[in-house]
Amino acid sequence: MRLGLRRLPLAFSARNGGILAAGLLGACGAFFVAQSLLLDLGGIALPGPGFFPLALGTILLGCAALIALDCWQSCQAGVMELGHRDVLITIAALLMVPVIFEPLGAHLTLGLLGAAMLVLIGRVAPPLAVIAAGAGILACWYFFEVLLGVELPAGQW
Amino acid sequence: MSGFDQLIGGFAVALSWKGLAYCFIGCLWGTVVGVLPGLGPLAGMTLLLPLTFGLDPTIGIIMLTGIFYGAMYGGSTTSILVRIPGEAASVVTCIDGYEMARQGRAGPALMIAAVGSFIGGTVSILGLMLIAPPLAKVMIAIGPSVQVVLILLALGAITAVCAGSRIKTASMIVLGLALSTVGLDKLTGVPRFTLGSADLTGGLSFTALAIGLFGLSEILINLEKTETIKAIVPKLKDLVPRWHDLRESAPAVGRASVIGFIFGIIPGVSHVVSTFVSYAVEKRFSKHPEQFGRGAIAGVAGPETANNAVTGTAMIPLLALGIPSIPATAILISALTIHGVQPGPLLLTEHPEVFWGLVASMYIGNVILLILNLPLVGLFVNLLRIPYTWLVPIILIISIIGVYSVNFSIADIWIMVVSGAAGYLLRKLGYEMAPLLLALVLGDRLEENFRLALTMSSGSYAVFADRICTIVLASTLGLLLAIQALAWAFGYRKSFADETGNG
Repeated sequence: MRLGLRRLPLAFSARNGGILAAGLLGACGAFFVAQSLLLDLGGIALPGPGFFPLALGTILLGCAALIALDCWQSCQAGVMELGHRDVLITIAALLMVPVIFEPLGAHLTLGLLGAAMLVLIGRVAPPLAVIAAGAGILACWYFFEVLLGVELPAGQW
Repeated sequence: MSGFDQLIGGFAVALSWKGLAYCFIGCLWGTVVGVLPGLGPLAGMTLLLPLTFGLDPTIGIIMLTGIFYGAMYGGSTTSILVRIPGEAASVVTCIDGYEMARQGRAGPALMIAAVGSFIGGTVSILGLMLIAPPLAKVMIAIGPSVQVVLILLALGAITAVCAGSRIKTASMIVLGLALSTVGLDKLTGVPRFTLGSADLTGGLSFTALAIGLFGLSEILINLEKTETIKAIVPKLKDLVPRWHDLRESAPAVGRASVIGFIFGIIPGVSHVVSTFVSYAVEKRFSKHPEQFGRGAIAGVAGPETANNAVTGTAMIPLLALGIPSIPATAILISALTIHGVQPGPLLLTEHPEVFWGLVASMYIGNVILLILNLPLVGLFVNLLRIPYTWLVPIILIISIIGVYSVNFSIADIWIMVVSGAAGYLLRKLGYEMAPLLLALVLGDRLEENFRLALTMSSGSYAVFADRICTIVLASTLGLLLAIQALAWAFGYRKSFADETGNG
């Protein structure tokens, strides 16, 4: 079967989206419950470090179940869109930042981020974007490092 | 030292060149973030939070508070001239403000909004000045059990006030409380949910989460919108309102000052709710309710006064109890804590200069905003002509540097990015981020006081009902939760009945 290219953004039913969010909340609740059980729970009279998170995780699981049930039974045929091009580009670019922030240094990383964002979502010509990003980073360096004394990573050069 | 002497001392701090300069920077930046859609007071405050690290705590708080009420002023400008609310509290102003602008009366609308904001803001500062000190004196005597009930009451009130689904709001509160448990347990020193990472032993960075959940998610949501901005810019001479406008606005300003004042104390999104309540009240009191929605000046004066009247009273629970009532004041808690100043009942005795300096600066800031906003309205509106996609890289770069500079940790950038993406998804699905953030701030205090109270009472839960004040607070909380549960269950059954009926 030949798979065609899907156009972004993708449309979801509000019902499925609601159940997905409830699932994520439930997963968070389950994480807190599972991890709390590894800690000292103490007793009901004198709770230990695991007691409070265990209670919260359990309540979160309950809330997630109620939300999922509510969505399942009452959501109408609403449609939500996910995966807007500019949003995906921004998230992808941001996910790269912590990976290269220390190896490449803050200035180069943020300059690359600025230039890429200007070209890809601001539709600015690449040479102009590079100049603008460079000027922006110079301004950031002066403001944050010179004026405020914030030390940013210089990179592993 | 009497309160008056301390106020004079506060003015000495606020009127120093540093106090004035940072108050001006805060007000200017606040107006800019209020004007720009997608950058509300919270994002504006978190972005400049790192700038306060090198400052005296009083000066830092003066600047951050200036951003908060500056954004309230700025939000009205775009609501009236462009029909784009700069921030949530200005949504109602769009209705009649933009209609007035279309009728060629943008000037009076802006003038009344600014004057109403000034009066509302001033009334609320008076309230802060008069109520916070005696309240703090009472609260010094309270023990951990009362604090637990008080925090639970604040969280319960958020579910009642927040718009949207109650169960979703409740789940956000529980998630915020759960996230606050990440890091070392304060009573035993045991690491919890750190997954072996040393970066998480201090807990999840509040700044990173706040910028991610509010700032970044807002940017992502705004990137989906492509709106052409057509601004109506009035001339300076057109700003003067007519006698009829003043007569119509005066009672609205008075009523809205009281409404904003009362709502400021209620935790949640009180600044937004107060504007809706004020609009409804003005419509009810008006002799011509049919004019609302068609350019009624009271429909501008009321909400704008109310949202600024909230700013001062929202500081009362923060400064007297150490409980933030809205997300913006949660940022102030974070800033004060970074400076080693613990907000709460002891703030007035241990750091009176912070409290009185803040009060004095709010008076001055309101005057600065009145002078700043009217003549420079054209300049602020021109900011909207810069394409939003050009602003995004600038905002992101400042956010990243800001988040990193708090702890110099890459983990904080990860937290910002992941929480931003999660916040975007959750907001698209109708979840509000404010309850999560407030619960995150209050979570560790709730747990610590809960366990301390039980330890002090040798494990007896009667400690939460052994005083008149705890009984009253606990009963109010119980009543609030019962009403919430009934309302949810009734609404749920109704929608289920509708669904099956339709099916």
